[in-house]
Amino acid sequence: MTAGRSIAAALAALALAAPPPAFAATSQLAVKLVARNGRLLASVDVGAAFAPRVERELGNGLTNVIAVYVSVLPSEGGGPALVHGRVIEILFDVWEEAYAVTVKDPRTPQGVPLVLADFRALRAFLAEEKDLDLGPVALLPAGAFIVEARVEVNPISKEQLHRTREFIANPAGGSRAGGGSRSVLGAMASFLLREPEPGSDVHLFRSRPLGHGEVVAR
Amino acid sequence: MPALLPALLAIALAQGAPAEAPRPGDLSPQTRRYQVERIRIIGLERAKESEVRRHLLVAEGDLLDEERILLSRLRLLQLGWFSRVETRVEKGSERGLVVLVIDVAERNTLIVTDFILGSTDPEPIYGGLGLSQQNFLGRGFGLSGAFVYGGSPVGRPQDPDRFALRASFFAPSLEVSGVKQGVVLGATFLLVHGEEFTCGDAKCDAYRGNFGAAPRIRYERIMGEGTVGIRPGPFERILASYRTEAVQATAIGAATTVPALEPAVFAGDSVVSALTGTYEMDTRDDFFFPREGMRGLFQVTFGSRLLGGDYEYSRYLLQLETAFGLLGRALRLQTAVGVAQGNAPFFDRFYGADFSYFALGPALGRALELNFSTDPRYDAFLAMGGVEYAVPLWSKQGFFRRGYLALGTRAVYSTATLGGKRTTFTRSPVSADVALRFDTPVGVFNLSAGYLLDNVL
Repeated sequence: MTAGRSIAAALAALALAAPPPAFAATSQLAVKLVARNGRLLASVDVGAAFAPRVERELGNGLTNVIAVYVSVLPSEGGGPALVHGRVIEILFDVWEEAYAVTVKDPRTPQGVPLVLADFRALRAFLAEEKDLDLGPVALLPAGAFIVEARVEVNPISKEQLHRTREFIANPAGGSRAGGGSRSVLGAMASFLLREPEPGSDVHLFRSRPLGHGEVVAR
Repeated sequence: MPALLPALLAIALAQGAPAEAPRPGDLSPQTRRYQVERIRIIGLERAKESEVRRHLLVAEGDLLDEERILLSRLRLLQLGWFSRVETRVEKGSERGLVVLVIDVAERNTLIVTDFILGSTDPEPIYGGLGLSQQNFLGRGFGLSGAFVYGGSPVGRPQDPDRFALRASFFAPSLEVSGVKQGVVLGATFLLVHGEEFTCGDAKCDAYRGNFGAAPRIRYERIMGEGTVGIRPGPFERILASYRTEAVQATAIGAATTVPALEPAVFAGDSVVSALTGTYEMDTRDDFFFPREGMRGLFQVTFGSRLLGGDYEYSRYLLQLETAFGLLGRALRLQTAVGVAQGNAPFFDRFYGADFSYFALGPALGRALELNFSTDPRYDAFLAMGGVEYAVPLWSKQGFFRRGYLALGTRAVYSTATLGGKRTTFTRSPVSADVALRFDTPVGVFNLSAGYLLDNVL
């Protein structure tokens, strides 16, 4: 399995299991909706997920993965009516000094490659997700709806975490480990403290409630 | 957004056509074949570079393998030594060569393992603290110490203080050639100055209000133990320990004539000499809030005159805990079974209250093996079963990083003789607990209503 494909597979495994972290804040989403040939196309601005400091991470000379999911949900709650997702692999080649980008989505799962000369061009490319095909217009919720976008930077799969996991229990081995001690605080504190969070970033965006009248027909 | 969305994308990607063959001059990861000329680790303060390198899955001279770099980064994070681990590559000395840079920020590895505060009728206030350095000498060694202090027994200000001290050193994985997972080494020292009441009843009713006049056994234990072990797999340890312990016990006052209420220890000087074999496994996915996996311990101890001791006994202990994810929460099943045969000293038997959330009676879970209650009944047979349900409350950055509410119930059965009557160290064998547990940079804390109740009941 190539590195790129294994990362995509790892991403898939993560996606199946992981809810968004509790500390992921939600930002306002600017969205334009167009109906074309019976399909709903969305253009969203997720630039807030790519602050200038991200350059250091995306320019680290290793493949970085960004997953973008956009969905339409009834504003009164419930599951998504329409969905689009794509995975973007980014590699800054330290010798070529350029960004190699591969965009994969359900229509082009093999990926569409392109080369961007610098971070400015990369950020502009990542910030504006244009004409995302969310599905048939007929599937739009009957009433008001909202558009949500979720951007994940370098998600870590459960499988990858599992492969590095080792014994996590009480480091104090021996025959009397954990025997005969009760604490008002710290009764279960005799575990090795670890940092299992690998630090992947999740950014959530949500639009204001939208109506059918805000979908421009073309 | 529900996790269903990314799942749909994952399925769609998986059903797609195979990836195109790389084109000449393509910058895609498939074609790039750089060689790692050098690995540079920056940001180290206390941790030894050689120890950090030991945990890497890449080496100088290797072809750049991003998967192995990612796994190395995760492995370093899971050591618990670093709060941040970042990786990047830089140009090497010539085209085709790169330098792998691992940039780390060390974290606090000194944690609180015990914070003890309690009160009983014979000891109105006692307390203690335990600390553990998880990366001693920057080599991943564990060095920990704990103490409990109770002072002189109530009503006997002239008597020696009651206290316990424990110190231990632990090397979880020493590199030894020919041993894949490394060798485990450990040493523990324990000093206990304690007393056990020998009244005619567990509550010591005849001396209520005047515990200073109650009969008792005063003892001193000085214990040293060495441990050596191996790790057959990433989630297992097999340990062999030898323990020698000098015990000095003195009867104070007229002791009871009820054998069950007299702690098992030889009067005067005696020696415990014992070998212990331990098998441990831990496949839990999280030390703090496990949703899957299992933790198990099986331990066998033999004490014998053949080893130079005065106590001829054997002791068996099996502890299991399994975790399941249930509706996004964690459900844990816990069980413990223990047997002590022969002439085991009281501190190698089972004190039922140690396994119970609280006891409806005079017994109270011990602190560093010190018993501050009036109940001296140590049993030869123990069985415990329990269930705990955990409701996550928050997960954020900051000092109180994670917290959950634990709701638990346990049933404990213990008896002094096989098939004998249950020892009524508590009126009800079932106890329950509501606890708030915090994960902080200095340790995991457990604010337990059961423990607070135990100090009142």
